[in-house]
Amino acid sequence: MTTGEHRPPRPGAGGAVSRTIDAVWKLESAKIIAGLTRLVRDVGLAEELAQDALVAALEQWPASGVPDNPGAWLMAIAKRRAIDHIRRARRLESKQEQLAHELDQPAEPDRDDVLRLIFITCHPVLPTAARVALTLRLVGGLTAAEIARAFLGTEQVIAQRIAAAKRTLADARVSFELPDGAERLSSVLDVIYLIFNEGYSATSGTDLIRLDLCLEALRLGRLLAELAPREAEVHGLVALMEIQASRSATRTDSAGAPVQLHEQDRGRWDQLLIRRGFTAMLRARDLGGPPGPYVLQAAIAVCHAQARIADDTDWAQIATLYAALAQLLPTPVVHLNRAVAVGKADGPQAGLDLVDGLLDDPALRDYHLLPGVRGDLLVHLGRFADARLEFERAASLARNAAERDFLRRRADQLPADEPVTATLGGAAHDFLARDDLDAQTVRSYGQTMRRLCVALGEKLPLTALTADTVTRTFETAWGTAAPATWNRHRATIRSFGAWAALDDLATGLDRRAETRRAVSSIEMVELDELCERPDIRLRDRVLWRLLHESGAAIRIVLSLDVDQLDLDDRRARVAGTWVSWRAATARLLPDLISDRTRGPLFLADRRPAPARPVEQADLCPDTGRRRLSYERAEYLFKQATGERYTLRGLRLGRGR
Amino acid sequence: MRFLMTSRATDTTPEPDETLFVEMGKFIEELSAAGVLLATGGLEQGGVRMTSTGGEITLTDGPFTEAKEAIAGFALVEVRSREEAVELGRRFLKITGDGSSTIQEVYGA
Repeated sequence: MTTGEHRPPRPGAGGAVSRTIDAVWKLESAKIIAGLTRLVRDVGLAEELAQDALVAALEQWPASGVPDNPGAWLMAIAKRRAIDHIRRARRLESKQEQLAHELDQPAEPDRDDVLRLIFITCHPVLPTAARVALTLRLVGGLTAAEIARAFLGTEQVIAQRIAAAKRTLADARVSFELPDGAERLSSVLDVIYLIFNEGYSATSGTDLIRLDLCLEALRLGRLLAELAPREAEVHGLVALMEIQASRSATRTDSAGAPVQLHEQDRGRWDQLLIRRGFTAMLRARDLGGPPGPYVLQAAIAVCHAQARIADDTDWAQIATLYAALAQLLPTPVVHLNRAVAVGKADGPQAGLDLVDGLLDDPALRDYHLLPGVRGDLLVHLGRFADARLEFERAASLARNAAERDFLRRRADQLPADEPVTATLGGAAHDFLARDDLDAQTVRSYGQTMRRLCVALGEKLPLTALTADTVTRTFETAWGTAAPATWNRHRATIRSFGAWAALDDLATGLDRRAETRRAVSSIEMVELDELCERPDIRLRDRVLWRLLHESGAAIRIVLSLDVDQLDLDDRRARVAGTWVSWRAATARLLPDLISDRTRGPLFLADRRPAPARPVEQADLCPDTGRRRLSYERAEYLFKQATGERYTLRGLRLGRGR
Repeated sequence: MRFLMTSRATDTTPEPDETLFVEMGKFIEELSAAGVLLATGGLEQGGVRMTSTGGEITLTDGPFTEAKEAIAGFALVEVRSREEAVELGRRFLKITGDGSSTIQEVYGA
């Protein structure tokens, strides 16, 4: 329909009418499904009834023309189907009169109905992928095929995911009410931002940006801002998305390669969206209260948008905002972004120091931006050969083709050191290519060597491979793996070391006791006795109980902050996961917390020596004491148990 | 996809009345709530027309048509398809009555 008049639909003009019906459906379906859910209290059924109405439209509109108020038409049909359905089901016999009365009311849709619908499609009872699919389907009006295309999946998988989600909601008897509490809202915000990010920085595939998804997320966010105008975080999310979307035209060059923020043509940033972002930010500020994670991220985006040229960027302010964000959202990725900002504000060495503190974090093991950022900082320090290695490593980890090419180009632009004759990658290849190894050994050795190459870079000169780097790689990769796994990889390194005449490679790797029973045999009785001993401190008792009851990773538990704890629900949200505990921990926790409201839950005995720099997040702002370290915690537990157990044994002993 | 809708009065366009303002206010609010409407505003009837011919720039003051004083306006909307934009235009005209609207996709956004 590019030229000529838009004729009223006639029979036979099926294609155009069905496109019109599709457009009407996308505009109206959320309201219709929400209104129906209020009647039948089941989103799955509501959607079926709405679909019936859509089918009726497809049958009738080509002949009759699109009605004046197509939304009301669809709603009327759907409501009729709802009444039929309820009568047929012969449920609520006595309430039928009241029901009929309710159904007779004017079809004025309650705006809160759509909000209720969003809370249901983003319900925590559903897995994240299901929340995303169901929200796009029921609130966004997208078909399973459209969702599949956006997420590069198959229609069948998406359709099954949506069907399973509806079943879960029905089984859980999720109510059609507006929940109170910020947690449910943050689940909604997270789903919308996830959709946005999938579009904004596509994690896979060849296109870096999929604008249709960004647009869908923006629409959902703007809708939510109108429906829940009193929530600062909603406006924060909208501001964040508007401002990020304002840069989408400049984030890739004409060949589709990424363009970094400081190199983007700021004149082409969409001022309309930036202004909308600023307006949303002002609404968030007007609501007051301590800024949440989305408001903080939006504030960072505002800082960038306000800089006319890259050099005007207020990095000190951004570093401060990231520090605040890291308190609320202590994820490795936030820490990494903070390091970037600190690198800009206080110089590359300060940034590098922060990044190096993240190298051992298992969550960042395969995250291509860690070596990418490190490479960038190294370039600024003039350490080109090291930087090159990091960019190569980053490229090998990147899943998106455009980003991979970009990182590889950055590596190639840097001067290489004098040619290295023996590299880790080359040595690993030769080591595995010997003909005296059987297939199974090659497979097993191959796993170890591949991980080593990914972690350290294939181009790493063999001479730079030390026991230290090997130990660190092992701790990050297999620190929490079963002892047998650890020992298998250790055996590879010993064999590789002997083959490459680097005999001391495995000196930092202790053989681990493989009999699970021996490690895990700290029984409840024994732990109870241990915790009764008068010489055991309250802090250690809480730590051991918590490890035992939660089964959570030791580093995660040690990273807990006081303000993350939900004492009533006996759980804490940390690093994107839940740590939950039971009665024994719950009894002890209040005494340990005492009147503290923030800072690390488990504190070291002493203040850090003045010369030792400590991350702000690892310091108790009230006592000045630092976070208890893994090493110290392990030492204390071994001492208390006469060297018979390690903390890992506590985790394995849970549930007995 | 972004579309710019501009609307003008025609000879048969009715005088705007209270009902129209109320209806239009509701429509605009609804579009904002749906995250569709990016910007909107009224336009003066005349304005200045600028023409460049062979390097010579000529200014002409409006009005340019004989149309009586009536509402003209624009709306910048963000939608998923041309059909959605047309559907919105249809609803707009249902409220204003007689008049003409132009819907054009905005490129480079």
